[in-house]
Amino acid sequence: MNDKLTYIDLEHLDDLALGSVFLATGGGGDPYVPKLITAQAIKAYGPVALLEPKEVQDEMFIVTVGSVGAPTVSLELLPSVQEAAETLDAYEKFIGRRIDAIASFEIGGGNSVIPICAAAAKGIPVVDGDGMGRALPEAQMMSYPIGGVKPTPALAYDYAGNRATFETDTTETYERHIRAFSMSAGGMVTAAEHPMTGRQVKDTIIPGTVSFSVKLGALLRQKRGQAPSLEAPLQQLFKGSIYGECRLIYSGKVIDKTTRIIGGYDIGEATIEDFSAAQENLLVNIKNEYLLARQGDRVRASVPDLITIVDFETGVPINAERLRYGQRVAVFATGCPDFYRSQKALKVVAPRCFGFDIDYVPFEEL
Amino acid sequence: MRIGIDVGGTHTDAVILEGDKVIAATKALTTENVVSGISNALDEILSMGGVKENQIETVMIGTTQFTNAVIERRSLARMAAVRIGLPSGKGMPPMVDWPGDMKSAINAQVHMMHGGYLYDGHRLADLRDGEIAALIRELKKEDIKNISIASAFSPMNAEPEIKVAQAIRDAIPQAQITLSHEFGRLGLMERENASILNTALLPFAAKVVDAFQSALKKRGLKCPAYISQNDGTLMSSDFVRKFPALTFSSGPTNSLRGAFKLTGLEDAIVVDIGGTTSDIGVLQGGFPRESNVIIDIGGIRTNFRMPDIMAIGLGGGSLVSENGHKVGPQSVGHNLVKEGMVFGGHILTATDIIVASGDKKIGDPNKVKALDQRLVKDAKKTMHSLLDRTIEMMKPGGKSLPVILVGGGSVLVTDGLKAASKLYRPENAGVANAIGAAIAQVGGEAERMLSYRNISREDAIAQVTRAAREKAVAAGADASTIRAIDVEETAIPYMDEGATRLRVKVIGELAL
Repeated sequence: MNDKLTYIDLEHLDDLALGSVFLATGGGGDPYVPKLITAQAIKAYGPVALLEPKEVQDEMFIVTVGSVGAPTVSLELLPSVQEAAETLDAYEKFIGRRIDAIASFEIGGGNSVIPICAAAAKGIPVVDGDGMGRALPEAQMMSYPIGGVKPTPALAYDYAGNRATFETDTTETYERHIRAFSMSAGGMVTAAEHPMTGRQVKDTIIPGTVSFSVKLGALLRQKRGQAPSLEAPLQQLFKGSIYGECRLIYSGKVIDKTTRIIGGYDIGEATIEDFSAAQENLLVNIKNEYLLARQGDRVRASVPDLITIVDFETGVPINAERLRYGQRVAVFATGCPDFYRSQKALKVVAPRCFGFDIDYVPFEEL
Repeated sequence: MRIGIDVGGTHTDAVILEGDKVIAATKALTTENVVSGISNALDEILSMGGVKENQIETVMIGTTQFTNAVIERRSLARMAAVRIGLPSGKGMPPMVDWPGDMKSAINAQVHMMHGGYLYDGHRLADLRDGEIAALIRELKKEDIKNISIASAFSPMNAEPEIKVAQAIRDAIPQAQITLSHEFGRLGLMERENASILNTALLPFAAKVVDAFQSALKKRGLKCPAYISQNDGTLMSSDFVRKFPALTFSSGPTNSLRGAFKLTGLEDAIVVDIGGTTSDIGVLQGGFPRESNVIIDIGGIRTNFRMPDIMAIGLGGGSLVSENGHKVGPQSVGHNLVKEGMVFGGHILTATDIIVASGDKKIGDPNKVKALDQRLVKDAKKTMHSLLDRTIEMMKPGGKSLPVILVGGGSVLVTDGLKAASKLYRPENAGVANAIGAAIAQVGGEAERMLSYRNISREDAIAQVTRAAREKAVAAGADASTIRAIDVEETAIPYMDEGATRLRVKVIGELAL
């Protein structure tokens, strides 16, 4: 079968980015520009070694890196290789030791490639995995803090080189503070956070998601076509992974999409009408990501399982902020990594944590 | 009465419409200088319809000249691409992701300078006089007159673009400048790409519009002339001198709109079969269905609205394999009249098949008499199932729709299409593009990022709608007929409460 992926090179970036938008479940932002700067970094510094979590040595010093802010802002305030690299330099200076490897916050969207860009510039490896296996709106929902890792000391770096450091008591406080800094620094900053030992990374990371996203992107590229034709190959790929089941749960036209902002999040819903109006509309609730899909009272899938909306014609996944009236789409549900079905994780990512008054039931049992 | 003209790569088509009625239609060859091709077509329809020049109220032109220039990397001017946004985006200069052949075709001088705004209205950085002076020095040194300027968040605040443009104009009065904010939407790279392509096309646009206008003048047509853009709306021909890039993809749009006009079907699949390809698109409410995914033109990402078109390699000149199981994508193209068997050539084409089957009489049927009837049958089956498959893919899921056949190659469809609820072959289907151009409307679109903390939602929508209306009127719309057809709000995640991206599109009848 497929050879193990031991490095990320230019040839992997398109697939990694495409796969990451599927896993982003609507959030995470467009990885196009982050992908370009990552390509620049790889061209300048060479490919990036990809470490399987089990290859990580216990005493290694590992930090997570990524962008924090509004994805829309990154459409105008372009990131750069320099910004990613200098964030790590500044972090090393702040904490007084060298970083041995990088890990990702979230595999969804732009943050799937930013760590690779930073690692290339720094000449250090990236761990094959991330803190979510998808995208989620808040820092405390990552597997690292759920597994007991503190997010601080952390450092954030803005487009002009201004920086702020954080020492907070809880992850929730950290989330509020870094968001405040991001908002006042133009809406997008690069952050280095969650300093960990190799042991902690092994214990808390969602493993294998970087190489999986490359495989998923390759599949979406090779099988590009109407969504129903993608279901069988997607099922086969997800079944052999940490995710499990993947099913096409609905196809139709977006007949309404409304969003409003509550508490700093993009909250709203999209209504999709069956193409032949043969079944009830599908309602999708959004909080940055697609969180809950239901037909009337019948829940079809909910967070932490993945809900992905794709263009019906091409199977290309569509970010929540690009979803709009009139689009013809298909909705896929995918099981979340097992970690997120544990009681410990469900305490912070179950539907009730997002204000939905339902218990979490794995979508394949619904 | 209106005249619609479609200036394509091979053919220049023209029609005269009186209300809904086609009075005259013709197909002429496109000439090197464009002018005589248009003149020939005009001569023919005017005499054919017995129409006097002064009866024509307006002329609408659709053209693929500018799209073709980009795709073929020709007629592009030397220019400068100026980006205002440092210190952000260091190392991400303009055109960083462009194909190499396109970069060398334009051979642009690239400048990056400090300035721009942030989402919340704060300055990203101050403009620097020294950088502006250095820019002007470099432009003068290489005698560059075509300049594109793009600054961060310019759809929200265009001041840096305007200030730098003014400084350039003061120093270089003949400068032709495109400002990226005139292309709307957020997304610096896509907006900047549109602005750069537009700038590179400016001298060619002057030439083409001159050609259009002189062809009309020569024929004594003094009425206003308009050119159609990619979303099926119109702009005044002088507007095209400034915004040629807005004509990209108007060809397929016009053929879809023309098919709508010819049949009156608001919801349908349109199959436009030419010599080399079939373009399949979808009409929704009488307008082309737009694409959901980002469109690139000649390998360059842009932010234009484009119709959702699927092109397959099946046309009148498509090559047919020995057993008839494969048709296209290779084609003899416009050499069909020399190389096709019914024309005395030796290459088996799709056209030869339908002559051999007895469905059509084109060229000399004796030349294909000897073809194996089984091959003919299989090749016909291959062509029909190719189209059926693509139509199935374009159909809004499950829904059965009528299919409208247009274009010269539509003769290839002889047996009906399984994927169609009903098949239409309207009269004048060969000139659907020119008809589409003749019935185009005028649109306008505006987008702003704003905060509902500072402005009420109603006022915000009114403000953005006003900007869109102004754009439509500038493009030639009758203000009294303008209506909003799309209001799109996007809240910005992780931001300040109330931060919203608001986009409004309006459309109206042409002011006659």
